[in-house]
Amino acid sequence: MPDPYVVRPDSEFLGRILAQGGEDAKKCFQCATCSVVCDLSDGGPAFPRKEMIWTQWGLKDRLMADPDVWLCHRCNDCSTHCPRGARPGDVMAAIRREHVFHYAFPGFLARWLNQPKLLPLMLLIPAVLLGLAFMARDSVQNALSMSTYSTSRIIYSYSVWFPQWLLIGFFLLFSGLALIAVFVGVGRFWGALKAADAANGGRVPTRGLFTSIGSTLKLILSHQQFSRCTAEHRQYLPHAYVFYGFVALFLVSLWTMTAKWNPLIPDTFVYPFSFFSPWRILANIGGLALLLGCLMLIWARLPGAGDEGKRSVSSSTYFDWAFIVTLLLVTLTGFASEVLHYARLEPHRHLVYFIHLLFILTLLMYLPYSKFAHMVYRTTAMVYADYTGRKTAVPVVAAAASGDVVAEEAVAGEVASEGESAEEANAEDPAHEEPENVQGEDK
Amino acid sequence: MSDNGKRGKVLVIGGGITGVSAAIEASEAGCEVILVEKEAYLGGRVVRMNQYFPKLCPPSCGLEINFRTIRTSPSITVLTQSEVEKISGGPGQYRATIRRQPRGVNNKCTACGACVEACPVERADKFNYEMGTTKAIYLPFQMAHPQQYVIDFDACEGPECGKCLPVCPYDAIDLEMQGQVVEEEVQSVIWATGWEPYDATQIENLGFGTHKNVVTNVMMERLASDGGPTKGKILRPSDNKEIESIAFVQCAGSRDENYLEHCSGVCCMGSLKQTRYVRDQYPDAEIFVFYIDIRSPGRLEDFYQAVQEDEKVTFVKGKVAKITEDAASGNLVVEAEDALSGQLATQAVEMVVLATGIVPTEAPVTLELDVELQRDSHGFLTNDQPVAGLLAAGCAKRPVEVAACVRDATGTALKALQTCVERHGG
Repeated sequence: MPDPYVVRPDSEFLGRILAQGGEDAKKCFQCATCSVVCDLSDGGPAFPRKEMIWTQWGLKDRLMADPDVWLCHRCNDCSTHCPRGARPGDVMAAIRREHVFHYAFPGFLARWLNQPKLLPLMLLIPAVLLGLAFMARDSVQNALSMSTYSTSRIIYSYSVWFPQWLLIGFFLLFSGLALIAVFVGVGRFWGALKAADAANGGRVPTRGLFTSIGSTLKLILSHQQFSRCTAEHRQYLPHAYVFYGFVALFLVSLWTMTAKWNPLIPDTFVYPFSFFSPWRILANIGGLALLLGCLMLIWARLPGAGDEGKRSVSSSTYFDWAFIVTLLLVTLTGFASEVLHYARLEPHRHLVYFIHLLFILTLLMYLPYSKFAHMVYRTTAMVYADYTGRKTAVPVVAAAASGDVVAEEAVAGEVASEGESAEEANAEDPAHEEPENVQGEDK
Repeated sequence: MSDNGKRGKVLVIGGGITGVSAAIEASEAGCEVILVEKEAYLGGRVVRMNQYFPKLCPPSCGLEINFRTIRTSPSITVLTQSEVEKISGGPGQYRATIRRQPRGVNNKCTACGACVEACPVERADKFNYEMGTTKAIYLPFQMAHPQQYVIDFDACEGPECGKCLPVCPYDAIDLEMQGQVVEEEVQSVIWATGWEPYDATQIENLGFGTHKNVVTNVMMERLASDGGPTKGKILRPSDNKEIESIAFVQCAGSRDENYLEHCSGVCCMGSLKQTRYVRDQYPDAEIFVFYIDIRSPGRLEDFYQAVQEDEKVTFVKGKVAKITEDAASGNLVVEAEDALSGQLATQAVEMVVLATGIVPTEAPVTLELDVELQRDSHGFLTNDQPVAGLLAAGCAKRPVEVAACVRDATGTALKALQTCVERHGG
């Protein structure tokens, strides 16, 4: 017998969930309709029923080590069919937000970033950093005796004003810092997942880690998880637009930063590109996709945008809006810079370009603390779920026997109040006799 | 006002177990009673049960004696196939307008059944929830009271056909019988309008109406009943095959704000009772009961425990949220999460019974009074109506079991008497 599980309700945590999108969590009466109608919860451990009771009980420790919240893609099949209007889809989103806060490094940045009243400060920081970079431009150039960009070939470019070495150096520095923070966060998350499973005899690896990474990436690229949703199928396209738009722009940026130093690449393919260069075309298409996707996502979140009003629109928090609006601003200022650039509008184009860089910096440096972090936590959780394996649905007698121990504990309260049915279940449950099974202490 | 020395007159709307009980109680206290029933028979939902709690009697058990009392009572007037259209007047002095549909068969009928053989027209058997058919002239069910045939004029081809007329040895059939409107002065009105099963076709994910072998709990009562479409043998509808496995789906549409928001309170015991029906006929059948929580108050807990002792009854804590059909075999797969293990379960079964809930019967009556009848948010009439002498009883007021209906009928009859005494002076 393992040590008895002591329930430690974290009411502060529960309060945050209730305040941040999950305000209907307490309406749940554990009928488990949600787990069945969810197309992504196939087999076990099923979700989001268990997350609902863990939330109600304030079991933060359980929820923070639960990869399943990230397997949810918030298609809201659960919220649509929930007989109580408990909106599991929104509760899952609120838990994911807590994951980002919980694993963020350093934690205070996540807390600051998600307070609306600190928004000016959080924008001021990247603005000051960027300003300092500009101020340092000439002195560094002089100190290193670097020539400014050759004007023999370039007639008109932002790179005269903000030289590429500075751009690359500056953004590499802050992306690098963000990357370190991401690694720390993901490392903590992965560790917590493993520790939780080790402690309660839960899931163990069933396949190679790299195999899982491979199949997860394939899943992400195909966007299959979105297309499987039935209630809010409309998430599929906008997210795909944003995702692939972002990937395209990311690739262009990588190219821009590296091609210059690659002797194999002919000059025509090196930044700055002509208007008809494949890279610029790719960047423009990516930008348009991003813009379209952002607008669609924002539209879907506006009140009254759902097919049936309250039944399908996800509740949106500052956390959601901050990310999507930043992304939209990056895109809009990007296009504005481009237009002003071709229109030769001085000095507006430099101001707009500065703002564009500011929002890019905001997006990148706050990645580990904003909703942008879903990218890494979701991927991590999906890899973990694949790595440790998920069960398929089985006949009821086998289900009673093969269930996940974590979930069994979670309904301990139900078991206590339903003594007879618990005994019935135990009697049916061969696993009950196994030493690692904890059901016995429920009584 | 009444002029025959009685203590006043009570109108009872609905001839189910509640209305019948209230009518008898009021008449035994000295009132005259008009008992209005929309169907052609008394007994309402209860006569359509196979057995009922607490003693698992067949419905004839409790109702027979009531029917006999009504037959012999000089102060109870039964109006079947009748609906109250309008109530006017004021507290203690109500005037009810009652519309009677023609039965097509008069009191000379001895229920010999000769007409049935002659009748060429079939109609869906509403008494058996449309599982099976009857002729256009039919006896609602074996023990029907009044024990008279009735013609479904929607189906009957009328005097042009007339094949039943010559075969009736008692001259009991009148194909041109007209309906009539009756006016009654009463001191109080009891709404014993009862309930209807929730319309399971509304529940989008449980397949009722498309999957033949998904039936509702009220249909299961008919399948198990001797007078039912299968003569009491539980056979699944698609192919009349004996069953080896069956699933009971609790809270089908109930406690669900998308469908029927309230808990009907009786469906859990109903399904537990029906597991007995299955077990009595099929000693080896696998029975699954999917539930959110089992409601078995008071001594009913013993019944629940007894069912749990059956090794082939498996209780699964988790609501069924999906039922799919294998078109070739007609078999069904029900899906639920076993919440005790956190594992999704899919169970193949041969038949599914949806435990649908109780919806209060609408029974539209035009009130030409200053007030409206008060209903709660679920459509049940409230206990305290705004005017004296307008009362509700039984399942019109809240979803309850038969015994509670009978108790409530007695209490409500007393309240009706109070109005009669006040207004009539006893």
